[in-house]
Amino acid sequence: MSSQRKPASRIEPFRHRVETDPKFFEKAWRKLDDAIGEIYNHNASGLSFEELYRTAYNMVLHKHGPKLYDKLTENMKEHLQEMRTSIEAAQGGSFLEELQRNWDDHNKALQMIRDILMYMDRTFILTNKKTPVFDLGLELWRDIIVRSDKIHGRLLDTLLDLIHRERMGEVINRSLMRSTTKMLMDLGSSVYQDDFERPFLEVSASFYSGESQRFIECCTCGEYLKKAQQRLDEEVERVSQYMDAKTDDKITAVVVKEMLANHMQRLILMENSGLVNMLVEDRLEDLTRMYNLFQRVHDGHSTIKSVMTSHVKETGRNMVTDPERLKDPVDFVQKLLNEKDKYDSIVTTSFSNDKSFQNALNSSFENFINLNNRCPEFISLYVDDKLRKGMKEANEEDVETVLDKVMMLFRYLEEKDLFEKYYKQHLAKRLLSGKTASDDSERSMLVKLKTECGYQFTSKLEGMFTDLKTSHDTTQGFYAASSDLGDAPTISVQILTTGSWPTQPCSPCNLPPEILGVSEMFRGYYLGTHNGRRLTWQTNMGTADIKAIFVNGSKHELNVSTHQMCVLMLFNSADCLTYRDIEQTTAIPSVELKRCLQSLALVKGKNVLRKEPMSRDISDDDNFYVNDKFTSKLFKVKIGTVATQKESEPEKLETRQRVEEDRKPQIEAAIVRIMKSRRVLDHNSIVTEVTKQLQPRFMPNPVVIKKRIESLIEREFLERDKIDRKLYRYLA
Amino acid sequence: MVITGASEKVALQSLKASDWHLEGAFDVFYSQPQVAVTNCRHLEELYNRYKEQDADMIMVEGISQLCEDLQVDPQDIVMLVISWHMKASTMCEFSHEEFIGGLQSIGVDSIEKLCEKLPSLRAELKDDQKFREIYNFAFTWAKEKGQKSLSLETAIGMWQLLFAERHWPLIDYWCQFLQVRHNKAISRDTWSQLLEFVKTIDPQLTNYDEEGAWPYLIDEFVEYLIENGVVQRSK
Repeated sequence: MSSQRKPASRIEPFRHRVETDPKFFEKAWRKLDDAIGEIYNHNASGLSFEELYRTAYNMVLHKHGPKLYDKLTENMKEHLQEMRTSIEAAQGGSFLEELQRNWDDHNKALQMIRDILMYMDRTFILTNKKTPVFDLGLELWRDIIVRSDKIHGRLLDTLLDLIHRERMGEVINRSLMRSTTKMLMDLGSSVYQDDFERPFLEVSASFYSGESQRFIECCTCGEYLKKAQQRLDEEVERVSQYMDAKTDDKITAVVVKEMLANHMQRLILMENSGLVNMLVEDRLEDLTRMYNLFQRVHDGHSTIKSVMTSHVKETGRNMVTDPERLKDPVDFVQKLLNEKDKYDSIVTTSFSNDKSFQNALNSSFENFINLNNRCPEFISLYVDDKLRKGMKEANEEDVETVLDKVMMLFRYLEEKDLFEKYYKQHLAKRLLSGKTASDDSERSMLVKLKTECGYQFTSKLEGMFTDLKTSHDTTQGFYAASSDLGDAPTISVQILTTGSWPTQPCSPCNLPPEILGVSEMFRGYYLGTHNGRRLTWQTNMGTADIKAIFVNGSKHELNVSTHQMCVLMLFNSADCLTYRDIEQTTAIPSVELKRCLQSLALVKGKNVLRKEPMSRDISDDDNFYVNDKFTSKLFKVKIGTVATQKESEPEKLETRQRVEEDRKPQIEAAIVRIMKSRRVLDHNSIVTEVTKQLQPRFMPNPVVIKKRIESLIEREFLERDKIDRKLYRYLA
Repeated sequence: MVITGASEKVALQSLKASDWHLEGAFDVFYSQPQVAVTNCRHLEELYNRYKEQDADMIMVEGISQLCEDLQVDPQDIVMLVISWHMKASTMCEFSHEEFIGGLQSIGVDSIEKLCEKLPSLRAELKDDQKFREIYNFAFTWAKEKGQKSLSLETAIGMWQLLFAERHWPLIDYWCQFLQVRHNKAISRDTWSQLLEFVKTIDPQLTNYDEEGAWPYLIDEFVEYLIENGVVQRSK
């Protein structure tokens, strides 16, 4: 590098105006011009940065800034135009490469040029608000190359074509893609968006629109969703590999819209493979995928929820109204529990325990369980079955789990008071026949009911347990206190407090003298310690164990009901008795007595008595004998159990009537309570309040509420307001 | 008393009201919406004519006689109006006080005068307010002493009587409905609310509101009418 030497002299500060060389600019510019040319020709190494910088510096100092800027612009334009020509000439695949190569070159050149012209950047450009050198370079690139007629379209088409091919399964040069898109991004986000992103999204939309159309014609829902998931994952990966991160959300939205949102109804409701089918067949993986995918779609989850709800309600309704199912209550309830389990696991596993889905499920169950008004009875029977002796789940924990699940069903019941009535009946039968498998399980169930419904629900039930315990103690006390019982039969007495146990009408029955004696002694003992009480023997609820020795030598212990015992004991003093005799002596009512005798004489394997004639029906003159030929493999023979069955029609009606009757005072109490605190209230508000208060037990019927209000008006607890007839007033 | 023909009680009242000034008393007397003059002695005579032999009441026989004298049917509704004036506690009986007081408040002291008053008494039924009072009075009056409710038969009879005066197109259906579906006594609330129903709800039930806190019997009546196609269900 040569430098022009001034004549050797001291360098003095200028004292006077220095003459500017008129040719100074041309010379200086030529220097820079050449240098830039070298830079673009990859010959920068031969240049002196310092000299060039100084040249530029001087130019600016001498107020040649504007000219320099313009010249620079022209210069770059020329170079870029050369580049453009070569890019345009590139064939096929090398187009992008050529573009890339030139871009790299241009960038490097720009950097150097910027460095050289830095002084201008900092002074002239700032004060004149011109585009800085580097940015100028980018803009020129953009306008001359990227947006040139021949290149613009071709660039976009090439990019989109490559993307399309990759979508169709080809492998493409991703790094080239990346650098190209990066170039666009470097040129400014609006360039990236306008020249690439927007068209990319449009093309993708139509691509996926077409693809989704094809798939949906030939795929099942599950397959389709898999494909959609695949495509989504692909696109996300694609963006991360060679596009700007901001494109991620946009392309995802496109895929979601084209593949999912547009076909949502059709997918979910697809016959044989849609949501309903998935639910029925427990296809958890598909369900999970559906849940996740439709989370992104507006109304996706609510659609799934509503389809699921109607399906559950429909199947539920069929279950509870199917007459076949109703024949076996225990099985009926078991099926309900199974159904609940199934859906619970679906919600937990596939719907990530989404609370709103759980709620939808709950309301569906609530809806169909209450379609059949025998559900309270059946659920109680189910619990009864589980709590009786000899059931399969001997494990207490298992029983606990089952009871907890039953409680879930219980919560859905509207008529909880009906359930209470049945539960009481069934519990009484269990307790009195000694058939409870586990006291702990029984109590645990009570605790659950109490937690759910409050103390009043279970207080009577608890009373039943207390009664039994007290009875046991009392019986022991009796035997301890009475020493003169001799050969009297051993009795075990259960004293039931009238209010706590379900009421049973008691039929008359003459006990055999042996029994009568000891029972009266017991009565004396009891009343001695409990003054003022009254004991009534409930002969229709007792049992007896009798030792029987038959003429043929066989000995058995017979477990029979009290009535049956009375009948059998008669044969200790007579060989043959007519029906009429038996009826007269025992005083047992005829319907019951006939049933009793039938069970003793006509049931194979249990026929300890013989009847002549052998007909099924019993008439007054039929003769009964002890069956001398009675045999049984077992020593202990059980005749006639008090099994809990579902009620017959008339019984069912009676129970329901009683429940309805019980509800009336409860409704009235609620009305009075409300009116006492509110003083004046309109009709509809009363109905709403009463319903709210009583809902935990049952749903009061508005007509019944109205009748109760009128009854209260009659009895002068309430009056109508004189002016507004819809208002009621509390009368103190 | 001689000049105005007023009773002693009224005279005293008027004098008191005017601070014992005689002239003022006349003003008070004539300005009061006092019904016309009644003679106490006449009233007593009248009472004695009808009262039972061995009780201080006018009973069925006496009333029959009264009706004969008035030339009205015992079932005539004007008897109800008269009973209302008397504030009679039960039908078919008038106590001494009720009889005297009632005639005084009507402003008559003889059968002839009462006869003359009959048309105006009948006219009182046309007055809305009075009709309502008479209607509600009828319940207490017609029911058995000591009962809270009115027997169905009596109620129907009374209704037919009353709604002959104040026309209600559905009265026959109502009575039919009660006999077929209800067959029990009528409570006071139902009785009084029925009049409200008749007054506010039109015969086609277009403005009947289910949430209107009507007694349940009336709700059931509406159902009955709909079932039998007498009216259309609204909504």
